[in-house]
Amino acid sequence: MSQTNISYKQPLLETPFHEKTREKCYAHDWHKWAGYKVVKQYTSAELEYTAIRNTAGVIDITPMHKYSVQGKDAKKFINKLITRNIDNIQPNQVVYALWCNEDGFLVDDGTVFCFDENNFRICSGERNLNWFEDTAIGFDVTIEDISHSIAALAFQGPLSCKILHMLNANKIENLKPFCFDQFTINNQEITISRTGFSGDLGYELWCDPSQAHEVWDALFSFNKDYKILAAGLDALDMVRVEAGFIVVNADLIAAEHALRPNRMRTPYELGLAWMVNLDKEFFTGKEALIKQKNKGVEKKLIGLDVQGDKPAVGSVLYDGSKKEIGIVTTAMWSPTLKSNIAMGYVNKEFIKLGSKILAEIYHPEELEYRKIWAQCKVVKKQFLNLERRNAVPALI
Amino acid sequence: MSKYDVIIIGGGHNGLVCASYLSKKGYKILILEKNEKLGGLVNCASSLNGFSSKILGDLNIKLPKLNYNSYIVALHSEQQHTILQENNNKINFIKSNANEENQKKFSSLINKYKIYASTLSNFMYEVPPRLKSGKSKDTWQLINMGWKIRKLGKKNMREFLRVIGLNIADDLEDNLRDNTLMGLLSHEAILGSNLGPRSPGSILSLLYKQAIQNGLFASEKYDFHQLIPSLEKNCLDQGVEIKNNANVKKIITTNNQATGVILDNEEKIEAGIIISNADPKTTYFDLLGTEPLDTDFIRRAKNIRTKGNIAKLTITLKENPLIINIEKEKMNAKFIYAPDINYIERAFNASKYNKYNENLCFEFHHCVNVIVANIYYVPYVKNNTHDKEKLIQHSINLLKPFISNLEIENAELITPNEIEETYNVMGGHWHHGDFEIDQMLMMRPFYGSAQYTTPIKNLYLCSAGTHPGGGITGINGRNAAKKIIRDKI
Repeated sequence: MSQTNISYKQPLLETPFHEKTREKCYAHDWHKWAGYKVVKQYTSAELEYTAIRNTAGVIDITPMHKYSVQGKDAKKFINKLITRNIDNIQPNQVVYALWCNEDGFLVDDGTVFCFDENNFRICSGERNLNWFEDTAIGFDVTIEDISHSIAALAFQGPLSCKILHMLNANKIENLKPFCFDQFTINNQEITISRTGFSGDLGYELWCDPSQAHEVWDALFSFNKDYKILAAGLDALDMVRVEAGFIVVNADLIAAEHALRPNRMRTPYELGLAWMVNLDKEFFTGKEALIKQKNKGVEKKLIGLDVQGDKPAVGSVLYDGSKKEIGIVTTAMWSPTLKSNIAMGYVNKEFIKLGSKILAEIYHPEELEYRKIWAQCKVVKKQFLNLERRNAVPALI
Repeated sequence: MSKYDVIIIGGGHNGLVCASYLSKKGYKILILEKNEKLGGLVNCASSLNGFSSKILGDLNIKLPKLNYNSYIVALHSEQQHTILQENNNKINFIKSNANEENQKKFSSLINKYKIYASTLSNFMYEVPPRLKSGKSKDTWQLINMGWKIRKLGKKNMREFLRVIGLNIADDLEDNLRDNTLMGLLSHEAILGSNLGPRSPGSILSLLYKQAIQNGLFASEKYDFHQLIPSLEKNCLDQGVEIKNNANVKKIITTNNQATGVILDNEEKIEAGIIISNADPKTTYFDLLGTEPLDTDFIRRAKNIRTKGNIAKLTITLKENPLIINIEKEKMNAKFIYAPDINYIERAFNASKYNKYNENLCFEFHHCVNVIVANIYYVPYVKNNTHDKEKLIQHSINLLKPFISNLEIENAELITPNEIEETYNVMGGHWHHGDFEIDQMLMMRPFYGSAQYTTPIKNLYLCSAGTHPGGGITGINGRNAAKKIIRDKI
């Protein structure tokens, strides 16, 4: 691919969609992601967010790391790697997965695609080849980094199914959440999975780089009536917070990256206990996680409903007597919920839903900060739960 | 119920010692040896001086002592050899080209190393403490270890802590001017480890080896041919069963607990405790398999440095060898050819890249008409691509200038690759792993596998890969047995 095009003049790679995204990127606001240049905002994040929640947004997610796992022991290897049990996984199924180190701390999260018993693909936000290869020692598997050979788009929003349907993607509305299949749109055979990072109805489209332009154009072919928008990473970050999804190295520090051991987090601390299957015979970190489960967590990532309309970005959290009890990792004003939401860590005494705590917000106001003590209530991390997200057949 | 309480994989000296200690406590033990002959790497050794007298006493074994004055000859390419004598741990100059000042400095340097080595030898018979266990016993043990170093006195402790990270070449060049003496000490520091004289930590390697073998030069003190038969007899007398030609294929585990082994012929043998005398890498990667091991653990196991670099050459001559410029009565010496630091370092440089330059170093001694030589650096190479004929010829060419009557009847050479294959030692390393600061004490073989234990319940290690490390001391076997006895009470 375009790897060879890197030079000191152009230190970042361009995705196969670059020509298309550049056209639309009026703000010229780019973001570096895994060596690629991708759009942060096309025009304004709020506008793109609105498209994702009301029509549909197209997000270039090509830089995502993708690894093919093939071989006789592929399933066994993945079962050793991740905390969930994929014994019963079927072809064309996707599972969200976490993998931890020996101390039970999260190395990364991602999605596992099952093509068949001996052929899987893992997509993740961070680089994992080294971790996978060391995990695979002694297993009959070949792991290959195929990040550069697959172009990927996230197509998220209530109209996403309708548009794919209009593009004659055969029975796309019947594709269940966390499933994928081959579809033909605009004469291009591509893989579409009903997955995404928006907590909304949405799909991810996987294709060969050579098909990229055709696929991109196809999605926008009904724009006269439907007004879908290309969306940048800022908009994606907004929808993922509403959905309560975590981002590694934003809401926690990956175990392989953390310099300070107490910055790493276990699935239990992240509120992802349901992802951990301790009945499984073995996976990396099992023993440590059993220990933590029995002992209970010291702190936990929770959702917060914050008083007022000033986002509690980077706020320190306090109890009623103003004793420090935690910190906010992500915060925003949610346009859909019309409320001020945040995610953060609090000590174990405050993880119960409904707990009242205080956030110390420093709100920037024209070169000065206004300090606000905002009341917060602990709520479910999944702030927004849309029925259309999991409906089958999907909304067309 | 299984017939045995304990299965020991590997009938090397540590396995036999471990069996002896455990059988004294009433355990029913089976030793499985891959080869025809017991002894493992001892069969590859050429001398024995460090075997723990404490263990011999404990097991009531009497090994005949060889009581002669041992000479060390540092060969010189122009036949101006340096001759030293090691007597009761004291080193005297018999003949040397070095001036008196250098000789004096050499002696004081050796004395310095001796003091530090004796500090280190305090730790040999202890199961090292566990880091981060949170138990006060481990904390106290750690404090105790620190105290023993502190007992060197302020000045010595500082010097000790200064030099343990240094390379031997720096310290020698600071103190000596004589190339032969510098080469000689460098040789002792690096022999058996994959280090060069300028590799950091080579002083520690020297000190540690000295601590293990109880003396600077490994000159023969016991008749080492007697060692394995005596240990074997001791085991058999106590009811230990020994099975030769029984290669273990796999260690069986259920629910993270070792329950038995499968042999090459598919025979299954069960036991409550499995002790592996194979090196840690072989144990984890071949015998156990990586399935029940955490990724970080596998990484650490993969990364222990176990690259061997010594080939053993045995040549049979038509008659007893004669060394030029060496009197007959000094012919029982240990001959060392490591002429100067740069020569050794250059040989090492090539081996780093899995090549060998023809100018290698060696040590040898002879017994009647057989010369046994350790040639280094002959690197461990992947896929065993050594050209052995060429290697033998090179090695003989190295010896040729010093032996006046080198008429060869037979020559055999064992490369590190062959050591790996024959003795289940990944990398063919003499000591199952370099003696470096991150592979010692509670870090040996690596964090998470020290204290003779493994992540698998009832699976223990007792090989040279554990604390205190290689050499032929038997201490590993003893310490492992102590640990097991302590765990099971």
